[in-house]
Amino acid sequence: MTSADRGAGLAIETTGLSKRFGHQLAVNSIDLAVPQGSVFGFLGPNGSGKTTTIRMMLGLAAATAGSVRLLGQDMPGKLDEVLPQVGALVEGPAFYPFLSGAANLHRFDAADRHASPGTRRARVAEALDRVGLSHAARKKVRAYSLGMKQRLGIANALLSRRELLILDEPTNGLDPQGTREVRSLVRSLAADGATVFVSSHLLAEVEQICTHAAIMSVGRLVAQGPLAELRQAGTAQLRLITPDAGAASGVLVRFGMTPVIGHPDGADAVITSVLPGSAGALSPNGSRNPGGAGGTGGTGERDAAAALEAAPEAIVAALVADGVRVRGFAVERGSLEDRFVALTGEGFDVAQ
Amino acid sequence: MSRSDQVSEHGSRTAKESGREGSVPRQRASSRSFLASELKQLFRRGRTQALLLALAAIPVMIAVVVRLSTAVPPGRGPAFLDRITQNGLFVGVTALIVAVPLFLPLTIGVVAGDTIAGEAGHGTLRYLLVAPAGRVRLLLVKYVGAVAFCVAAPLAVALAGAGIGAALFPVGPVTLLSGDVVQPGEALNRMLLIAAYQTVSLLGLSAIGLFLSTLTDVPVGAMAATIVLSVASQVLDQLPQLEWLHPWLFSHYWFGFADLLRQPIGWDSFTSNAMLQAGYIAVFGALAYGRFVSKDVLS
Amino acid sequence: MTPTWLRWMPAVAVPAVIAAGVLAGSVPASARDPLPGKTPAQVLAMIGQHTTKALSGTVEQTSELGLPDVPQVGPSSGPAAGSLAELLTGPHSARVYVDGPAKVRIQVMDRMAERDAVRQGNEVWLYNSKDNTATHLTLPGIASGKQDRGSRMPGSVATPEELAARMLEKVDVSTDVAVRGDVEVAGRAAYNLVLTPRSQGTLVESVAVAVDGENGLPLSVEVRARGQQEPAFRTAFSSLKLEAPDAAIFNFTPPPGASVKELALPSSGYAKRDLGQQGRETSGLGKDELGKLENDRKAPAAAGGAPSVTGTGWETVVGFPARANSAAAGAPSVDTLLNDPLLRQATVAVPGGRAISTSLLNVLLTDDGRMFVGSVPLERLQAAAAAR
Repeated sequence: MTSADRGAGLAIETTGLSKRFGHQLAVNSIDLAVPQGSVFGFLGPNGSGKTTTIRMMLGLAAATAGSVRLLGQDMPGKLDEVLPQVGALVEGPAFYPFLSGAANLHRFDAADRHASPGTRRARVAEALDRVGLSHAARKKVRAYSLGMKQRLGIANALLSRRELLILDEPTNGLDPQGTREVRSLVRSLAADGATVFVSSHLLAEVEQICTHAAIMSVGRLVAQGPLAELRQAGTAQLRLITPDAGAASGVLVRFGMTPVIGHPDGADAVITSVLPGSAGALSPNGSRNPGGAGGTGGTGERDAAAALEAAPEAIVAALVADGVRVRGFAVERGSLEDRFVALTGEGFDVAQ
Repeated sequence: MSRSDQVSEHGSRTAKESGREGSVPRQRASSRSFLASELKQLFRRGRTQALLLALAAIPVMIAVVVRLSTAVPPGRGPAFLDRITQNGLFVGVTALIVAVPLFLPLTIGVVAGDTIAGEAGHGTLRYLLVAPAGRVRLLLVKYVGAVAFCVAAPLAVALAGAGIGAALFPVGPVTLLSGDVVQPGEALNRMLLIAAYQTVSLLGLSAIGLFLSTLTDVPVGAMAATIVLSVASQVLDQLPQLEWLHPWLFSHYWFGFADLLRQPIGWDSFTSNAMLQAGYIAVFGALAYGRFVSKDVLS
Repeated sequence: MTPTWLRWMPAVAVPAVIAAGVLAGSVPASARDPLPGKTPAQVLAMIGQHTTKALSGTVEQTSELGLPDVPQVGPSSGPAAGSLAELLTGPHSARVYVDGPAKVRIQVMDRMAERDAVRQGNEVWLYNSKDNTATHLTLPGIASGKQDRGSRMPGSVATPEELAARMLEKVDVSTDVAVRGDVEVAGRAAYNLVLTPRSQGTLVESVAVAVDGENGLPLSVEVRARGQQEPAFRTAFSSLKLEAPDAAIFNFTPPPGASVKELALPSSGYAKRDLGQQGRETSGLGKDELGKLENDRKAPAAAGGAPSVTGTGWETVVGFPARANSAAAGAPSVDTLLNDPLLRQATVAVPGGRAISTSLLNVLLTDDGRMFVGSVPLERLQAAAAAR
């Protein structure tokens, strides 16, 4: 596969993207693939390199190595053609405190040489309306609350029709009501056909609105794919209660599992085992999967096939066929949160 | 340059975007509207207005003090101070002379030092760049804004001076340095010429300020550095040991506008000054370009 | 994205282009044809013959006499204009307009000020913008037409060539006169006439006069002192136009509000001295006029104080007696010199009195009030003072 074939359906594609600040490697060779039309959650603890990645995508910072393509065009080479189609909220909103909200949007719109001055007034009003700030349009931004600034930042990203929206922590500082509004806004944008790339450290948010997600940890991309796959890929555990521990183990080993046998109450054995194909099989980037050149798109399908083979009902059928007395059987699937913590492997306040 | 090999592969696909490029006239109009937005923002800003007001206060202060005091003996204080009581038009000239060494560079330093660093400080730089404003275009618009202020600042002094002078003192024919006398209309022309001379004088300093402004995210730092440089240049210009350096200092011709008050007008210093400032614009413009186009915007 | 080094190219290229432009500008733009060779006598004759009547130009003067510089700081204009030393220190520039000998205007362009000398016919105006004073004097009946050069030369039958040859013969004893390689002054090719003292006992190393290759107009004078890299004194046209200036330039009426002084010419040497200062600025032009003024100035001094002269040629030392009579005439006296703050600052205590040392001229003020002046080392002055 050439990168052109792969890139056809990708709104954002990075290849070996790296950024070094002095001795510190802030972003370490990441290969992001954001399909067009998706709502893509970009997860990672604070300081994992999310914002730096976004800065490189938008041409604000130069990559130390690797390349970025937005909407099929090279960044920052084609920056002038790409960015008018991209709305962005980068590392929080920033405005001229001495100007009103509307004046700020006028200013940013004027900076875009592709934006038509004729429709500016109407577009600014519409964007403000969309984030519910019409009433405060004439107020100086100095007097805005953090949440209002956040909404104004989103309004700025919506000034023109965008094919791609890159929103860095869009719900930061918003009350629950505002958060819900942003969520529905993102959904409506996606419904209009735009690709929405949302960076966040709030798992709940990503789980609710995203179709795809990627997880960053210490500058590396540790997982990415459709949300469903990511969830499935989470460590699923099989829990079997049976008096026939020996026979059961034999069956499970046949399915490629490594059962652990325990006798918590002395009567029946409790066998636990990781469901095959659920952990570590997903290949987020080249470093985990050396053959990763063609891996990103196909990994999910292959994993799905493996998971299908080891479907719980198939295991139960095999156990029963071998005469194992199944007294209890359960598959405990991990949440995205478990997956996240497992991958980032560090103390991280997800409830934040 | 691992990206370069991918450029050609996607060349064909950019065709669908080419529809955007057809609207060249509209783009030009938008470039003007960015400049208009910059100028509007600069001159509507309270700080800029305060700077211009402070400059306009210089002639007012001079005029009021002279009006309230007894006659000034000739040859003391700034040039022409003693003439003010006879002719109000000298208020503007005297105020311009007083403003040249410090007040004008101070205000230019504030405006030019703020150009890029101010945007970085507010965090708005990143939003201008992703708009996309274009880095070179942003630099140009910012510099034109600073130039507009260079036009406004000496004009504020000259016009406020002419106004308060006409209000408090008689206005009549003006004696030039050569002892020749010109009518008030011609005198006003000469004053505007002096203001234009000051504008040209400050262009080099503005370019320096623009460059310093690309070096930092702290606007106050760029402002202070610009102002310090303007003072340093004037101090160096006074050291006879550095005579070889003097014609290269951007402040060297700052007082050369006296030649505009001679009869006939001496244009030599105007030309030398303009060439020197053009050199500074070229050098520091190129430096600002080199720095800003390759700068990581992390603010 | 262009590679980083490419972005810094303009920042490297622009200074390089400017440096190249400056270097190219300082080299004579086009290699001119060399001027036809001439002997010193021929060049001197050219000066005598020059018929340039009308010109306008700018004269730049620099001096490195070793006197303290006059500080010019801040927006106020320069120091008091009356200071004798002021014109001798630091750089000055003046605009010169000449239309025949009877129409002359010289504008000494000071910082934020100007000193003007305007002559139209027999009327002479001196104007100083700093204190807004104008001085008027009427030259005694020199009809403007009589200023013709030929008529004023002694023995007017002699051709300029003969005169030049005679003059050269006279100075040959003390001075080597030669024509060196062509020079360029104010964009014009000029002969470089160099006078070098044969004596080692003088501070003057050489005097060079650039003489316009076309019309014989002296374009610059440069005096070099021994053991000094920079010329001790140089005055030269920086720009020159050989056209009659606008006639309005020579009309001068004192501006309203100026204090006007009327000077009766014969009664005081002061005005002439002042005019002499102004004239010095222009060196190249009207040299004979300047000489005449110098003579006028010396006359009353000689009458009043009887200065003594020792040594000859370049080594001449002039001694002025104690100040008894000095108040009578415009002659420089120890008192007036010491009253000049800049000169007072410049004196240093030496055995036998105080001295003012410059690279071209030494002045010794003895403790008993005498003054010795000469373009010689200080020891010579001290010897002359002791000999009395």
